[in-house]
Amino acid sequence: MFDSAPSRRDFLRATACGFGSLAFSGLAADSCAKGAEELPHVVPRARRVIFLFMQGGVSHVDSFDYKPRLEQDDGKRMPFDDARQRANTGAGDSPQRVMKSPWKFQQYGASGRWISELFPETARHADNLCFLHGLHTEGVAHGPSTLFLHCGATDFIRPSIGSWIFYGLGSENENLPGFVSICPSAGNGGARNYGSAFLPARYQGTALGKAGLPAKEATIRNLTNSSVAPEEMRRQLDLLQRLNTEQRGRYAHDSQLEAAIRSYELAWRMQLTAPGVLDLAGESAETHALYGIGEKATDNFGRQCLMARRLCESGVRYVQVTYGDNTANPAWDQHSDLPMHAQHARAVDKPIAGLLEDLARRGLLQDTIVWWGGEFGRTPYAQQNGTGRDHNPGGFTVWLAGGGFKPGFAFGQTDEFGHQAIAGKVHMHDLHATILAQLGLDHERLTYRYSGRDFRLTDVYGNVVREVIG
Amino acid sequence: MLVRVAKFIAACGCWRRALISAWALVAICGASLLSVEVLSAAEPSAGDLEFFEKQIRPLLAQHCYECHSGASKKIQGGLRLDGSAAWLAGGDTGPAVVPGDPDKSLLVWAVRYADSDLEMPPRGKLPPEVIQLFEQWVARGAPAPAEIVEATTAKRTFDLAAGRQFWCYRPIVAPPLPQPNDARWAASPIDRFIRVGQEAGGLTPNAEADRATLVRRLYFDLLGLPPTPEEIDGFVTDGAPDAYERLVDRLLASPHLGEHWGRHWLDVARFGESLTLRGFIWPNAWRYRDYVIAAFNDDEPFDRFVRQQIAGDLLAASSLADRQWQLIATTFLALGNTNLEEQDKRQLDMVVVDEQLDTIGKALLGQTIGCARCHDHKFDPIPTRDYYALAGILRSSKLLDHANVSKWVEVPLPLPPEEEAPFAQREAELAAAQAQSDKLTKVIPLLTKAVDSFAPLPAPKIAIEDLSGIVVDDSRAKKVGEWKDSHRSQPYLGAGYVHDDNDGKGEKTISFEPTLEKDGRYELRFAYSPGANRAAEVPVTIFSADGERTIAINERTTPPIEGRFVSLGEYNFEAAGQSLVLVSNEGTRGHVTADAVQFLSVDAAAKKADDSPVAAELENQKQLDRYAETKAGLEAALAEKADLQRRIKELRAAPQRPTVMSVVERPDAGDAAIHVRGSVHALGEVVPRGFLQVASLVTVPTIPAGQSGRRELAVWLTSPTNPLTARVWVNRVWHWLFGQGLVRTTDNFGATGERPSHPELLDHLAGRFVDQGWSTKTLLREILLSRTYRLASSESAEALARDPENRLLWRMNRRRLEAECLRDAMLVASGQLNATIGGGTIRPGTKADYGYQDRDTRRGVYVPVFRNAPNELFDAFDVADPSLVVGRRETSTVATQSLYFMNHPFVHEQAQAAAQRMLADRTLTDDDRLRSAFRWSLGREPTLSERRMTTEAVSVMSTSPERRVAAWTMLWKTLFASLDFRYRD
Repeated sequence: MFDSAPSRRDFLRATACGFGSLAFSGLAADSCAKGAEELPHVVPRARRVIFLFMQGGVSHVDSFDYKPRLEQDDGKRMPFDDARQRANTGAGDSPQRVMKSPWKFQQYGASGRWISELFPETARHADNLCFLHGLHTEGVAHGPSTLFLHCGATDFIRPSIGSWIFYGLGSENENLPGFVSICPSAGNGGARNYGSAFLPARYQGTALGKAGLPAKEATIRNLTNSSVAPEEMRRQLDLLQRLNTEQRGRYAHDSQLEAAIRSYELAWRMQLTAPGVLDLAGESAETHALYGIGEKATDNFGRQCLMARRLCESGVRYVQVTYGDNTANPAWDQHSDLPMHAQHARAVDKPIAGLLEDLARRGLLQDTIVWWGGEFGRTPYAQQNGTGRDHNPGGFTVWLAGGGFKPGFAFGQTDEFGHQAIAGKVHMHDLHATILAQLGLDHERLTYRYSGRDFRLTDVYGNVVREVIG
Repeated sequence: MLVRVAKFIAACGCWRRALISAWALVAICGASLLSVEVLSAAEPSAGDLEFFEKQIRPLLAQHCYECHSGASKKIQGGLRLDGSAAWLAGGDTGPAVVPGDPDKSLLVWAVRYADSDLEMPPRGKLPPEVIQLFEQWVARGAPAPAEIVEATTAKRTFDLAAGRQFWCYRPIVAPPLPQPNDARWAASPIDRFIRVGQEAGGLTPNAEADRATLVRRLYFDLLGLPPTPEEIDGFVTDGAPDAYERLVDRLLASPHLGEHWGRHWLDVARFGESLTLRGFIWPNAWRYRDYVIAAFNDDEPFDRFVRQQIAGDLLAASSLADRQWQLIATTFLALGNTNLEEQDKRQLDMVVVDEQLDTIGKALLGQTIGCARCHDHKFDPIPTRDYYALAGILRSSKLLDHANVSKWVEVPLPLPPEEEAPFAQREAELAAAQAQSDKLTKVIPLLTKAVDSFAPLPAPKIAIEDLSGIVVDDSRAKKVGEWKDSHRSQPYLGAGYVHDDNDGKGEKTISFEPTLEKDGRYELRFAYSPGANRAAEVPVTIFSADGERTIAINERTTPPIEGRFVSLGEYNFEAAGQSLVLVSNEGTRGHVTADAVQFLSVDAAAKKADDSPVAAELENQKQLDRYAETKAGLEAALAEKADLQRRIKELRAAPQRPTVMSVVERPDAGDAAIHVRGSVHALGEVVPRGFLQVASLVTVPTIPAGQSGRRELAVWLTSPTNPLTARVWVNRVWHWLFGQGLVRTTDNFGATGERPSHPELLDHLAGRFVDQGWSTKTLLREILLSRTYRLASSESAEALARDPENRLLWRMNRRRLEAECLRDAMLVASGQLNATIGGGTIRPGTKADYGYQDRDTRRGVYVPVFRNAPNELFDAFDVADPSLVVGRRETSTVATQSLYFMNHPFVHEQAQAAAQRMLADRTLTDDDRLRSAFRWSLGREPTLSERRMTTEAVSVMSTSPERRVAAWTMLWKTLFASLDFRYRD
């Protein structure tokens, strides 16, 4: 009478977990889906990700991509193929004033990586970092590039990388969400950057707080209730569950009802456990100090980083930590005042170093990918002859640590000015593919059937950068 | 042949799980093999071949073959480089190698990194010497051994006739009514189709649901609201045989129907009121929401409803109200969540078109047209040509005005003349003021420069004591009425000058009275501050021994004497008599200024004239006059501009003409070129505008030159012969009533979607729908009156075993209520629901959607749909993602839902209000209250055990009179959180 082509996921649910398993979505489906899809596809090198999002675009030539040529030619007007101009007008080279970095670089560690004085604390971990100097991406403005960074598309509505990974691997702690974004920015795509788009809603990122609010106040929504005492709440829950059990009786085969009943218990356990995970008070004074908590400049980002570690430790699969804000020119976006970079670097440097140190001490670094970067880099020349730099999607640096990436290693390079990636080019799609690969996920096989086709994070692109895998 | 099709599909990368449907199997692989001999005229020499083997082949293997050879996991860009025929034929962007011409060879371009859209190999530019080798090789005629390699990936041609055999493209033909064995059960045509299916499946349908269940089902399905206990009782106790029919008709006529069914359409139309990019608010999107609600309430024929949304701005209208509605309808085209900051505006324009096409395809046609953007559709008979034929239509209407952050288009809402006039007047004034202000902006720097070039400048302020004679400054004059002090225009005498502020005409005077020590004859000079906004006829009256005389002074001109004074003539004064000069603003238009009056003894004036040489004095005077004139002009310009700016500000602050988000026809409306691989930088053949060929079963409308073709698109979409539109819509209606469509993939009727469970029923409904004037209410009524709709939702072990998914509809599906219904039902129970229909609901002054918290108690459909700040309840309970076409919402079960019901203040507030309302009624017993609470929240009486459990819980908590509210609040919260609250049976 009818033939149906159920979505792959539906099919897997039905086969792996039998009739009605769909109803357990969000509760049991993760584990059953994992088995059915044989996920991860290969033996993973990493189990979780912390993405330190430097919103606005850190200047690579002032931080991790040392270019002596900028000093040599400082102030000279030279032709550059400016990305914004190309996008706006299609024009190629235009004269631009080369601007040297106001910060000094020196070599660090046994690996001898060149790092500027903006990041002295991070620099101490140079031998743990794996630099990708040949990154390039899509879009020239924050809106498109930020979405591309998170979702692999400048405009089309696509799931965020955190949602893909959560979808692929599920969560290791059913009392906590599998994908958390700490203090996400409301701007430049806002919720889309941690949204699940067409993936089932349970894979969307859970926002803890938001940019602009103190990290101290970041928590899961509706986790607490000030109007009812805890013992009273338990009593109410008991009554509710008795009612639910009775109401369920009439539809014994409807497993969605069972799932709803279980979700109340889960919510209850979340209420009991999550505040503990998010509460930093139990951490030692030494740990607080390690992250710069309590120091004016670093307190806020330090808290975010420590919270990220605690969430990862508790089994959250993907944690994004945003250093940014909600404006059209977010945090690192120094178009007209490059020296402002120093203020931002001060705010993040110590917390990042603290996070790396802490993860290493706890043995978490080996299977945690720490990914540091922004949506693009910045130009090696001054914008409109001023004292800032414009966006540069053609070449920039991100670094990775832990998770099986080669430590103390650098891959790829930009030209001698730091303008375009010329060797070891890694497109943002490639980076996504590589991160998935380390988690044991084949970016070409992690797909979701929607609207008649199998979608994936990397669209029809992406190559795993084998060179950076240890 | 079949193998080749499969290979082709496998090679195309993004779809790995190829569902090869019938039509694909018959598609032709029409590529011809090109032979090397034909294309390369001369045989390569031994040296050439050696060059290739030693220099080029290794390079190709090392840098290219991973993606461009038969050995590639998949071939990128349709290009192979492992044989001469292959590179001569090239890939998606054309031939890779033009022998002898490196500059025309894409291969050379790519390795040169000369074009940022085509850089190969992608990981980094090759060293210059390697690039040179490629250039040399091409220059030598690209010699290679005569290997035969399949020339290119197979090009598929579409066999439309075969494609049209797929079920959804076949014409809608009324099927004969089936004859079920159980004819008594199946009274209506719908039931006959359903019953034969059940009979074939060996299924016994459930009995009809009881009346309390039916009334709750109808209320939620039609209005999205729960019935009140009275409404339940009214139906349950109605003994008339047509009680059900009358209830259906009453609900179909309710104005709340549009709110619920409109919300369904808003899901499909990806309705939102803000953009995620920077949280920009769309202040006028609500008009579209109201239009949709009204359309359902008025049972707007669905074909017209569609035409209005696609081309309402272009359709004839019979009244102003129609014109308004039709224009508002086109907001549909503008609701995409687009990234306005995309810097490549050509790209942005195509993204907009793609979003529109994707929406139209899924929402109206159940087709995934977007799949054909980069290449022919892999599974459905939609070639890329069709995509760009449609893209040409949509591209011909402008949706955005481009800037760094582009701006969506808002057009004026047509208004009746009496409402139109004040807007038109204000706009005309604003335009004129703006034009004049712009002009002044240009003139002022010129005047400033001219003034600055006079040197040396006269002292801007002149001290009184430097002047001869007796001088009375304005500061010492007697003023009647309010005169304003000013220093704005220089020069002036003494402490400044005064003006009447161009106000209080006839009420203000200023009189200058000297202290004269002796009688005598004096020349009187009046100093004022000239300017273009001054009065032209200022009455200045001199009271002297000669009597009273009034002179009109033109203050727009520069005073002739030293740029400061105008002579009022000579008069005789007596020290003891009346001596004064009175300046009035009576009858004046423009500012009246007054600075000083000088009384010069005629003898003294004569003496002064003797002091300086006549010629020099004259020259100086001329110079000063010119200066004063220019200076006055500048000041007049500045003053005028300030006035204009003030007025412009006022005009802008005045209520603005209502506008509508819409599109505007482009003057350059025309066909679009195929974008190779979807790239705006790789344009191919230009395709005439048109429609989906596979769904064009009769002649299609022709698009007149110079027009976008949207009107024709609207006509094509709603043609009775269009096989998709009616099928897709009736299936949606079925889905919203039953919780699953006859085709469960409501937005995808293509090969990758599901097939209909009851294709004949679908055609029966679609055919009747068109025949009955596309009336959604008529369709609803027929379905609601069927027995199938009225079945109980209870489980039957036997039927569950045979048909666990209930595809044969042996029972009603138990449906979880939509998020909005949950919210509205709580508000109904608490008595807090504000049932106002329509209007804008965004709090005034909202600049961005970030963190917006809705505090209204109106129905959920009126909660602003903010893409960065979804309502928490909606977000938790699977509200449609406002950026996507959502024909069927998910029903997930996640902990955030439980957290919401346990802890969100909204639930607490509604529970408390409900508790207080019920406790306030002293006539009720606690048992009444309990039963009432169940009836208001779950639409039924409590069971015995429910009654026992809840009674006990309430009494345990009610330890004191004050605790009673808390106890009953707890009860209500528990009911809201319980399973039965969120389901309709």
